[in-house]
Amino acid sequence: MPTRPDATTAAVTTVVDWRDWRSWPESFTGLWRRSLRFRTILITLALTMLAILIAGVVMALVIQNDLFESRKDQVLEDSLRAATTAQSTLDAADLQGDPLKAQVLMTTVAGDAARQSTSDGFAVYRIGGASSAIATQDIVSAGFDVSLLSEGLRDRVRATPDSQWWQSVALPTEDGVTPGIVVGQQILMPDVGAFELYFAYDLTAADQTLLFVQRTLWTVGLALLVLVGGIAWFVVRSVAQPVSLAADTSARLASGDLKVRLQVHGEDELATLGRSFNAMADSIESQIAELADLSLVQQRFVSDVSHELRTPLTTIRLASDMINDRREEFDPATARAAELLHAQVQRFETLLTDLLEISRYDAGSVQLELEPTSLAHLAEDVIESMRQLAEQHGTDVRLVAPGAYSPVEMDPRRIRRIVRNLLGNAIEHGEGRPIVVTVDSNQQAVALGVRDYGLGMTPEDAERVFDRFWRADPSRKRTIGGTGLGLSIALGDARLHGGTLGVWSELGRGTNFVLTLPRHGQSVEGVSPVPLVPDTPSSHDDLGHTQPIDLPFQGAI
Amino acid sequence: MTSRILVVDDDTALAEMIGIVLRTEGFDTVFCADGAQAVDVWRAERPDLILLDLMLPGMDGIEICTRVRAESGVPIIMLTARTDTADVVRGLESGADDYIVKPFNPKELVARIRTRLRPATKAPADILRIGDLTVDVAAHEVRRGDTSIALTPLEFELLVALAAKPQQVFSREMLLEQVWGYHYKADTRLVNVHVQRLRAKVEPDPDNPRIVTTVRGVGYRAGAAV
Repeated sequence: MPTRPDATTAAVTTVVDWRDWRSWPESFTGLWRRSLRFRTILITLALTMLAILIAGVVMALVIQNDLFESRKDQVLEDSLRAATTAQSTLDAADLQGDPLKAQVLMTTVAGDAARQSTSDGFAVYRIGGASSAIATQDIVSAGFDVSLLSEGLRDRVRATPDSQWWQSVALPTEDGVTPGIVVGQQILMPDVGAFELYFAYDLTAADQTLLFVQRTLWTVGLALLVLVGGIAWFVVRSVAQPVSLAADTSARLASGDLKVRLQVHGEDELATLGRSFNAMADSIESQIAELADLSLVQQRFVSDVSHELRTPLTTIRLASDMINDRREEFDPATARAAELLHAQVQRFETLLTDLLEISRYDAGSVQLELEPTSLAHLAEDVIESMRQLAEQHGTDVRLVAPGAYSPVEMDPRRIRRIVRNLLGNAIEHGEGRPIVVTVDSNQQAVALGVRDYGLGMTPEDAERVFDRFWRADPSRKRTIGGTGLGLSIALGDARLHGGTLGVWSELGRGTNFVLTLPRHGQSVEGVSPVPLVPDTPSSHDDLGHTQPIDLPFQGAI
Repeated sequence: MTSRILVVDDDTALAEMIGIVLRTEGFDTVFCADGAQAVDVWRAERPDLILLDLMLPGMDGIEICTRVRAESGVPIIMLTARTDTADVVRGLESGADDYIVKPFNPKELVARIRTRLRPATKAPADILRIGDLTVDVAAHEVRRGDTSIALTPLEFELLVALAAKPQQVFSREMLLEQVWGYHYKADTRLVNVHVQRLRAKVEPDPDNPRIVTTVRGVGYRAGAAV
């Protein structure tokens, strides 16, 4: 049998309608509980996702920080170099107190510095009030705005002549803002005074790099997740498949297919499992075969003994019959001995026949010879054939047959034997009170009940009536002389028909046997047409429906 | 005239006891304890009936039965310890007319033998017609056209029983009583097997019987005379 994926199995067993979202949690827990593969893959995926998430976040942060730091360092270096060059240019210049010249110089220097610093914008602000007569105008490049600068930054730049200060800002562009950095320091124009020099750097490139790196990270993470899921599925499959195969094989072994074995490859744990399983199966098979052999030998022995006994028994039977026929010619003692011999040979023969019948059941070699038979007519026949015996016991046998006249497939020889047996028992144990044979049918089955109103049995005894050679009361006088196998054979016959033979008994209320036979192709699971347990508490209420019954000894009990 | 009966049984005690019973009843007896010699003894003695044990040393009862049947329709009654379907049916199919299960009582044995030895059934007419067959009861002969068909006495009796009352459907129980002499419920397989054997001899097409027709659920009846 090919192994199916667990998901399919689960879907088949629970019949999940995937469109109905309300059933999802239920089917999920169902899968979780049933499928090792589903559970393992889910756990693996969850843990992998967590690991990738943590690693991704940490890496993104580190890269972001690193990118920013290096860009910042570069920016600081560039701006410092530009500022230094600008300062040296300023130092070398001779303004001669011409404000125009100063303005031109400052513009030139700032422009040079901006170019040298590779910045995206710059601004120069004069510090302080009129410390000099020459006043230059503030220079602000395009894309730079004084609002970019925080007061804190400007204060610091103004306060410390020799330090660089920087600040992260949002640079306005044509389409919104981009992250940027503003670096500021002082430059000193001789005779004129100190200026604040600011460079603005656009960090878009670094930001895009960061974005790219992050995107790559998450993509890789996602791909990794899928990959790990796939690997987990594959690995779990390679482990779970042999396990589920082993489970299937065990199930087949348990259901009786003793020939199944696992295929063993390699030396790993699964191979060990397979080998152990096969060893177990071998051992079970051989032990069962041994037991079967043993029981077969025993059954054959019983059967052979029964057959072997038949030939000498035939001779004995012929001889005893001849002697018994001539017992008139003997003296009384010999005549009685001949009689006893004759009777006991017959009993022996019955016993042997029953024993052989039992051995056939044990060997499972009994075949039914089915023919359509009316159970009601059969019961009538049997009652008629046993009328003489019933009369000897002073017993009135009544037939109540509301149904079961139409023929049903059965082996009439065996059913007749069952009915004869039940009726014989009832006559023997019925204490001379009437016996009611009820025959009825329903759609599934036909049934026959034999009810006597004798002493009855205790529940413990009733449980054992079908046991071989069991006798309800060994001390009781036996008048019919059964073999002790009759009910056991009757039960075997009933079961062969797919039917049941039930017993109800109560001390003081008598005994009721009910034989239920299924109609062709039916089972007898339903209620039997003839109730096993009499529903009226009074012991004589259900004694026939047709006539009043005169019960002897009723008051004496 | 006393009838001579061949008892084939390897159990000498039983054979002797059967002999005592049969001689008491006025039969003449011949014995054979070895299966391998049974057919020769039968040829030499030409008995009126054979009592044949199924399990014999040398040659088993079924084989003997088949060989005797190939030469003669002499009544054969099997003695068997096994009543299992396969054994009995095999014995009947090989040509035995009846069987008795061990252990049996003397009266039963004698009754079975007498039934098989008694004169043929009284028929209403000397010539009966069944299908395209002509049954000459007095001459014990069955003919299709000018061809004579060899039947064993039992098969003949079965055919006469059916042909004598062509309107009647015979149940297996009725045939058991009339042909085999059983007055109680006996094994209906006897009827089934012998009807098959009879059909194999008299039907032009045994799969589509016209002479002995089956009435489902009831039994058999004779086919209409042509």
